[in-house]
Amino acid sequence: MPVFKTPFNGYSVKFSPFYESRIAVATAQNFGILGNGRLHVLDLNPGGPISEHIAFDTADGVYDVSWSESHDSLLVAAIADGSVKLYDLALPPTSNPIRSFHEHTREVHSADYNPVRRDSFLTSSWDDTSKLWTLDRPTSVRTFKEHAYCVYSSVWNPRHGDVFASASGDCTVRIWDVREPGSTMIIPAHDFEVLSCDWNKYDDCCIASASVDKSIRVWDVRSYRTPVSVLNGHGYAVRKVKFSPHRQGLLASCSYDMTVCLWDYMLEDALVGRYDHHTEFAVGIDMSVLVEGLLASTGWDELVYVWQHGMDPRAP
Amino acid sequence: MEKAINRQSILLHHLRPSSSAYSHESLLSASVCAAGDSASYQRTSVFGDDVVIVAAYRTAICKSKRGGFKDTYPDDLLAPVLKALIEKTNLNPSEVGDIVVGSVLAPGSQRASECRMAAFYAGFPETVPVRTVNRQCSSGLQAVADVAAAIRAGFYDIGIGAGLESMTVNPMSWEGSVNPRVKSFENAQNCLLPMGITSENVAQRFGVSREKQDQAAIESHRKAAAATASGKFKDEIIPVSTKIVDPKTGQEKPVTISVDDGIRPNTTQADLGKLKPVFKKDGTTTAGNSSQVSDGAGAVLLMKRSVALQKGLPILGVFRTFAAVGVDPAIMGVGPAVAIPAAVKAAGLELNDIDLFEINEAFASQFLYCRNKLGLDPEKINVKGGAIAIGHPLGATGARCVATLLHEMKRRGKDCRFGVISMCIGTGMGAAAVFERGDCVDELCNAKKVEGGVNLLSKDAR
Repeated sequence: MPVFKTPFNGYSVKFSPFYESRIAVATAQNFGILGNGRLHVLDLNPGGPISEHIAFDTADGVYDVSWSESHDSLLVAAIADGSVKLYDLALPPTSNPIRSFHEHTREVHSADYNPVRRDSFLTSSWDDTSKLWTLDRPTSVRTFKEHAYCVYSSVWNPRHGDVFASASGDCTVRIWDVREPGSTMIIPAHDFEVLSCDWNKYDDCCIASASVDKSIRVWDVRSYRTPVSVLNGHGYAVRKVKFSPHRQGLLASCSYDMTVCLWDYMLEDALVGRYDHHTEFAVGIDMSVLVEGLLASTGWDELVYVWQHGMDPRAP
Repeated sequence: MEKAINRQSILLHHLRPSSSAYSHESLLSASVCAAGDSASYQRTSVFGDDVVIVAAYRTAICKSKRGGFKDTYPDDLLAPVLKALIEKTNLNPSEVGDIVVGSVLAPGSQRASECRMAAFYAGFPETVPVRTVNRQCSSGLQAVADVAAAIRAGFYDIGIGAGLESMTVNPMSWEGSVNPRVKSFENAQNCLLPMGITSENVAQRFGVSREKQDQAAIESHRKAAAATASGKFKDEIIPVSTKIVDPKTGQEKPVTISVDDGIRPNTTQADLGKLKPVFKKDGTTTAGNSSQVSDGAGAVLLMKRSVALQKGLPILGVFRTFAAVGVDPAIMGVGPAVAIPAAVKAAGLELNDIDLFEINEAFASQFLYCRNKLGLDPEKINVKGGAIAIGHPLGATGARCVATLLHEMKRRGKDCRFGVISMCIGTGMGAAAVFERGDCVDELCNAKKVEGGVNLLSKDAR
C-alpha cells in the first residue's frame, strides 16, 4: 500500500468526493507549534507510488482541509494564523489562494463543507467560535459563539443542510440549527475535552464524540442522557472520529496513542481493527466515499498512508 | 513565541488532562540550535526547488579504432542514451527544456549538428533545443552542471546533460599554425604540451614512481573487471545496436555492444613493466598506465525536485555543487587536487564527509598525486575502475562518471550519502562536482545503530 512522506507534520487528510484517487493533506511545520504550513494534493497511482499533484505553501500551519462538494477543484483550508483560505487546483499556485478570510482571532482547527447545500462551509477555531461561510460573501454569514473553550471541530449533518454539531474543549458537544439563534442542544458528552465529533451517515440522529478521556461515545440526540455506546481502547486522547460512508455501525478513529482504530459500535466486541503503522501521534483519518473500505491517515511522523481495510498499511 | 507557548499548552492538555486545565507554565524557550548551521545537515528538500537526477545512463566505452564502436557514427552513440532516458522514465520528450552535450575533439559546428540529429533519432520533437559545450576532458560534467545551473536559474525545469566522443572519428589534432606569440607567454606555451608530457611533469615534480603508476593501472583493471563480472555496470549501460566491419574482409556484421571492451583483467606488473615510455625516453608514462583512447556517450536527466515528485520519478541523486579551477598548464593533471576541495567546500562539507569518489584516471601519475595530496582513502575512489581500464572518451567521461557514481551510491545504500566526480582538464584546469544520494532526505529511514563514541553533532557544534 502506498505511503507519502510530507516535509512537515501531518494534521489532516481528506479524500476527494469527486475522484477516488485524489486526497488532500494538511501539514504544519514543527508539529504545528511554530512555522509554516503546506497543503498537499496527492494522486494515488494504481500499483505505483503516491505522486504530488500540487502543493500550496502557507505562512502558518494548516490544521485542516475540506473538499468542496460542488467543485472538484476547490479546497478550504483551516490555517493556524486564524485565516480560512480557499484554493482552486485548476489555477496555478501563483493565483492561489483565491480567497483568504481573516475573522477568527485564533487558530482555525477544522473546516467542513456542507454536503447537502453544497454552497457553504463551516470552520471552528480555538477562539471558541464556529463560523458559517458561503463562497460569494467576503465575510462570514454567522458566528456561533457559545462554547467556553476551543472549538476543535464542527461538522454538518449529512441529511439536514441547516444542522451541524460542534465539539469543544469545554467538554460539550453542541447541536446547532443555523436558522435558530442559539444552539438547540448541549450534550455534556465527556468529563474532559472533546476533540472531535461526527454524524452517522445512515442515522441523522446518531453522533459520535471523541475525547481526551481516551473514549469515543456514540449518542442518540433524541435521548442524550446516556450514550448509546462507549468505545474504550485507545491509550491516549482520541484526536478524530469519522463514521463510515458505507456501513452504518462502522467508525474510524485516530489517537495520540499513535494508532488508528476501526469500530462497529453495534457489535458487542466493538473494536474491529487496530493499525499501529504511525510512529508519532496519529491526527488525521478519513474514509473514502467512492471506494468502500479505503482508508487514509496522517500523523506527526510526516507520513500519509492510504490502505484498504484489512491490509497492512505498511506492506509495500 | 507566546503563540507557540499557547499552542503547545493546548496540545499538552490533550495529553495531560489531569493537570490543572488552564495553567500557562511555559515549557518552551528559544535556544541556539546545538547542531550548528552546517549546510550539509541543514539542507532539506522542503521547498522542492533543488536539482535532482532521475536517470543517468551511458553506452559501453570501447577502444577507438579497434573496439566495438569503430564503425559507429557519433550520433548513433548519443541517440540510444538519450532515448533510454525518455523510455526508462516515461517522460514526455517535449517537456525537456534543453539538451546540453559535452564534446571535445569534433569540429564544433559539425558536432552541434550531429547532436541535434541524435536528438531526432532518439525521438525528441523539433521543439527541444540542443547545444554543445567544450571544457575539454570535463565537458560531460560541465554539461550536467550547466543544465543544473539553468534549472536553478529557472530557465526550464527539465534538462539533459550529456557527453559524446568518438575518438575513432575525431583523433586529437591541431588545425592551422600556432601563433608565434606563445613563445613569450610560458603558460600559453605550456597549453600546447602533449598531455603525456604534463603527466611526466607531474610524475617528476612530485615523485610518482613508475612502479606505483603501474600498480594503480593494475588496480584499475582489476576493479573494473570485477565490477563487470558481477554485473555492476548493467544498471548504467544501455546496449547499442550497431555494426562492425571486418578490417580484412570488409564484411559488415550487426552487433549489440553492452560491455566495456578496454578492460584487461589479467594485467600484471610484469606486463606493464615491459612497456616503453611514450612521451619521454627516461619517463614513466606508458600506454599501460594512461587512460585509453575510446568511443562512448553518456546522458543524465535532471529536473527540479518538485517536478520529479509530481511525476513520481525516483530520485537517483541530488546535484549539489560544481567548481572549475585553473592550475599550471604544465602540470594540468593536478586539477582535481584543487577542484575537489573547492566543490566540497561550496557544498558545506569536508573531504571526509564524502563517501565515494570518481576521479578520472587521465594518467596514473596525476591520479596518484591527487589521491595522495588530498589524503583520500583508496577504498573510496573509482571503486568500479577508472579511465585506465574503462577508457576516456574525452567529452563523454563526465556523463559516464555520473552514471557510474550514482548507480554505485544507490547500490551502497544510505551509508553512502555524498559522492564527488572530478577530472583534470587539458591546458591546466580541474573540475569537480558534489552529488548527494537522492533519498537521504526523503525516504523513510528507520533508526540505525550508532557505534559508541560517535559525535552526532555537526562539525559546527564541535
